[in-house]
Amino acid sequence: MTTPVRVLVVEDQPTQAELARLFLSSLGHDVRIAATAGAAFAAAQDWHPDALLLDIELPDYDGLALLKQLKQAGSDAVIVVVTASASMELAKQAIRDGAEDFVVKPYNRDRLAVTLSNALERRALERAPAQPPASPSRPRTEAAPGNLSGFVGASPAMRAVYDVLKGVAPSKASVFITGESGTGKELAAEALHRLSPRAPLSFIALNCGAIPRDLLESEVFGHVKGAFTGATSDRTGAAKLADGGTLFLDEIGEMPLDMQVKLLRFVQTGTFSPVGSSKAEKVDVRFVCATNRDPHLEVQAGRFREDLFYRLYVVPVELPPLRERGDDVLLIARQFLAQFSREERKHFKGFSPEAEALIRAYPWPGNVRQLQNVVRNIAVLHDAPVVGPAMIPAPVNRAAPLPPLDPPAPSLAPSPAIAAPPPADIEIMPLAEMERRLVIAAVTHTAGDIYRAAALLEISPSTIYRRLAIWKKAGQLPPGFAV
Amino acid sequence: MPAPPLLAADLIGELPAHDLLHILALFRTDLHRLTAAIEAAAAAADLPALRRAAHGLAGAAGSLGAADLEAACRRAMAAPSPAHAPEIRTLADAADQGIDDAIARITPQ
Repeated sequence: MTTPVRVLVVEDQPTQAELARLFLSSLGHDVRIAATAGAAFAAAQDWHPDALLLDIELPDYDGLALLKQLKQAGSDAVIVVVTASASMELAKQAIRDGAEDFVVKPYNRDRLAVTLSNALERRALERAPAQPPASPSRPRTEAAPGNLSGFVGASPAMRAVYDVLKGVAPSKASVFITGESGTGKELAAEALHRLSPRAPLSFIALNCGAIPRDLLESEVFGHVKGAFTGATSDRTGAAKLADGGTLFLDEIGEMPLDMQVKLLRFVQTGTFSPVGSSKAEKVDVRFVCATNRDPHLEVQAGRFREDLFYRLYVVPVELPPLRERGDDVLLIARQFLAQFSREERKHFKGFSPEAEALIRAYPWPGNVRQLQNVVRNIAVLHDAPVVGPAMIPAPVNRAAPLPPLDPPAPSLAPSPAIAAPPPADIEIMPLAEMERRLVIAAVTHTAGDIYRAAALLEISPSTIYRRLAIWKKAGQLPPGFAV
Repeated sequence: MPAPPLLAADLIGELPAHDLLHILALFRTDLHRLTAAIEAAAAAADLPALRRAAHGLAGAAGSLGAADLEAACRRAMAAPSPAHAPEIRTLADAADQGIDDAIARITPQ
């Protein structure tokens, strides 16, 4: 049962404000509406709401500024930010600035009720006296909620991803997933399908980068007998197989431009013709695409058609790299260890603190896939109750422990395994340090032009902004460095 | 004109009929106001105003289930241009018809 609280809805659009009011009132809450940031600040001072449902885009000034203003004024209201899925960066920023959670538009009453109730509960727990853990030796597992099985992690970055996936799943809107290799893009696509009303029908995945370009059209649309040499019978393509379900086009950035034209027509009309046939077929397909490249840069470079991009880039989902997911890396490592111990009939129960420190410090350029391989390596080659640092293979065992918000630790003495002199033309250093120097060099080289620096490094501008914010907070930027 | 979207389908069961009718009436007002604002901004090539109005309409359309209109508005937000206005007008007209259909479904016969 919901405990009634005071909720201030900060929203300037009447339909959305009224809908929120009706939802919240039907849950028993006491609701007021403020249509501007200024009115909201005044209401927060006078009425002392328990929670704010805060839209980011407001007519006088934006919700993030209001959030800071409220925090500075000592407001202890729980703040839930309302955001469009395309504004996930703003939502994440709001969480960093002190919002408790966010909810993605459009939301229904149940989603709003759960988000608000969880946010209030978390706040209550944070204020409760600390309790010792019930069972310190028991490995913690924090799997993603609901049908997001396969995902493990409770970091703010992943909670943002779960919310988008759950929010967008019921619609037919195309979803565009970005993220480095090994971050779980196909897992996200499968989760979307599983959460959607299309779940009983097919989920068809095609890796556009793994199919020879001459065969791609046939793989997507199928072909008829005699369409080309070797086409000895009719073949059904992925588009037809996915009818009523979801078509997942992985590595879409690898798709040749001539095929992009054909895909665009299919996305626009829902109709296609198998290779060698003039007969159009119509299907009902939800498109989910993924790439490990920055799609905006691909469009700018002319490698990805802009019209196709905007058709597919309706709801973007950015999967964070493992190095930005905090303690998720340990949760995932423990989950893999339990799984591989069972499979390999070993006796591992957990990692030693030293081993966990190495895992936490390593930047994991290959993300979850690399972590999976490392833990499998350990489970295959060793057997003990606890994984110690000596069992951690290279290069993870060379990771310097770098708590992200502390000043940089002095370098570890090289282990005997890497005591050979470094190559003359390159200084060997932790990968995270190399990354920091390279990004700073690129930004300096482009005179602070983040977009040009991002293009040179072939990474997303938002990645640079995030890195700079972390390094600034940790005092790891050179004196006088400014953007 | 495209087929009218099925509006408020997800809200039936969450809200009583009189609240639904109230929301649909508000949405119609927002739909007309914001579509006109988008067209005016497009005519004046005022891209910030166009983006703001598209933001408002995208949220309202999404809440009621007008997915195509929401998507068109989000495209206009991502790359504001007067060229988006005609498509938004077409989809807004369809949504207007969708409001009538939804009212007919909800109103007791």
